[in-house]
Amino acid sequence: MQTISKKLRKTALYLSYKCKDGNLQSVFSCLEIIWVLYDKIMNWSRKKANDENRDYFIISKGQATLALYPVLIEKGFFDFKDVANNIGKFDSRYCIQTDLTKFEGGIENNAGSLGHGLPFGAGTAYAKKIKNLKSNIFVLCGDGEFMEGTMWEACLFASSNKLDNLFVIIDDNNSAGSMVNMFDMKQKLEAFNFDVRKVDGHNEFELEKVFCELKLLKNGKPKAVIAKTIRGFGSETMMKNDIWFHKSPDKFELEQLTREVEAL
Amino acid sequence: MRRAFLNRVNEMIEKEKDTVFFTVDIGMWAIKESMEKYPERCKNVGIFEDGMMSIAAGMAKAGLIPVIFGIQPYLIERALEQIKLDLAYQKFGANIIGTGASIDYSKYGYSHYCPEDLHIIKAIPGCEFIAPGTKKQFLQLFNQTYRNNHPTFFRISDYPNKIYDPDVEFNKAVVIKEGKTATVIAVSVMLDNVMEACKDKDVTVLYYTTLEPFDYQTLSKYYNEGNILVVSPQFEGSLTFDVVKAFEGKPVNIREVSFKREIFRNYGTCEEKMNYYGLTKENIRLKLDKLTETKNGIICR
Repeated sequence: MQTISKKLRKTALYLSYKCKDGNLQSVFSCLEIIWVLYDKIMNWSRKKANDENRDYFIISKGQATLALYPVLIEKGFFDFKDVANNIGKFDSRYCIQTDLTKFEGGIENNAGSLGHGLPFGAGTAYAKKIKNLKSNIFVLCGDGEFMEGTMWEACLFASSNKLDNLFVIIDDNNSAGSMVNMFDMKQKLEAFNFDVRKVDGHNEFELEKVFCELKLLKNGKPKAVIAKTIRGFGSETMMKNDIWFHKSPDKFELEQLTREVEAL
Repeated sequence: MRRAFLNRVNEMIEKEKDTVFFTVDIGMWAIKESMEKYPERCKNVGIFEDGMMSIAAGMAKAGLIPVIFGIQPYLIERALEQIKLDLAYQKFGANIIGTGASIDYSKYGYSHYCPEDLHIIKAIPGCEFIAPGTKKQFLQLFNQTYRNNHPTFFRISDYPNKIYDPDVEFNKAVVIKEGKTATVIAVSVMLDNVMEACKDKDVTVLYYTTLEPFDYQTLSKYYNEGNILVVSPQFEGSLTFDVVKAFEGKPVNIREVSFKREIFRNYGTCEEKMNYYGLTKENIRLKLDKLTETKNGIICR
């Protein structure tokens, strides 16, 4: 595992330990995706956080917000100590999800309930088209989230309105599999007139390559990246035991899980 | 009222480049030209009210002024979580114009009725609820609010007041007349009936078209021994909290002329329904007579 992947995971673990809550399995499955977007793909920087032409990252699978904070810390937007010392506290700006009203840029949406981020991102992508601005909108969704009807409403809207500035990323960590059979998501999204690519969601090189390729396709079709991932990736314990879907580490577990992340 | 609204839409789309109008497959007849001339900003968007609220919030984030038009229960009840999270929680503005009111689609059955709308929207802090009584009032209230960056819900009715049409202001009740034995809160399209019932009574009549936020200040000046009659074309109880709050610490004796809380299973004309549920000038008069006869100090009979 890349050094940065380890670092981001250790930060997420520590934040979860400090606020005594979190959905770490889901966080660990999408860290590479978010990192690659911010580090290699998006037109975004700390100084551009309120630029009208910036690219937007919308976290639709809100349970993974603890994966966003480490990336924004690494990019210098948040201060690690500030986040770690305050996350989850009564008057804090930082919580397990997000509240954009507490920030001047940096956080683009309020995540939480599933099925909201994608139509919200589609609305922003549409507005950017109307205003003739260059922004791309990247929306991180869960595979399970696609059980929500509003996700498909957003897909209809996006393809009908030719939103080729909208990128839907599915963190496919097989959450849906324990409930329903989603069958072939690639085929489904292609039927909605998306350009679809499948990729190893933990392979930064592959992710970068796919995003770069799709960004060049200004063909009136929205984009989808189905990123195959593993829940809890980076920790043997978390990959094996689903209790880590919603659990925070105590001091002992923090040390153990940190060692596991270091070892991979 | 609907025609006035759609004319205003045409004007808005023509002149204001940061506005967007989405209809959910109704009213296209009146905006055909705008749809052809400005297809990106004026469109029949599709039949998905819930997703569309999120889309509207996303557009507002990027600096546009969204105006959405649909049928009241689908806009409000189907899309409630989107209203709560994507608009109110994130503090994004949108103008949601609903047709149908409580029972305008009287022959269509309960799927098309929305007597619950005010009660529901009042449950989400930050939302505004406006129920004009005439087309003039719709335009006044729309023009005062549509750029205020709040989720604002307009309840437009096909059965407006025909006689009384005072000028109105957002978040301000109009004092129609002043009297001493009771205070009547006339809501939206009920003003004509209220005035007919109260013409020879020594009562105060306050006319409310903005229902959320509620103008507590004006109501609080007209205690009238706590005798309050609410005449509202919504479910009974939709304004009870506001009345009690306006007179906090004082006993109030509230009576209502409004829709009984039940699933409406009757059809007929809108007028038949209003008669059946007692939203008539005769019933207003009856309730008012009973109210002014009651002894003080008894809360909410």
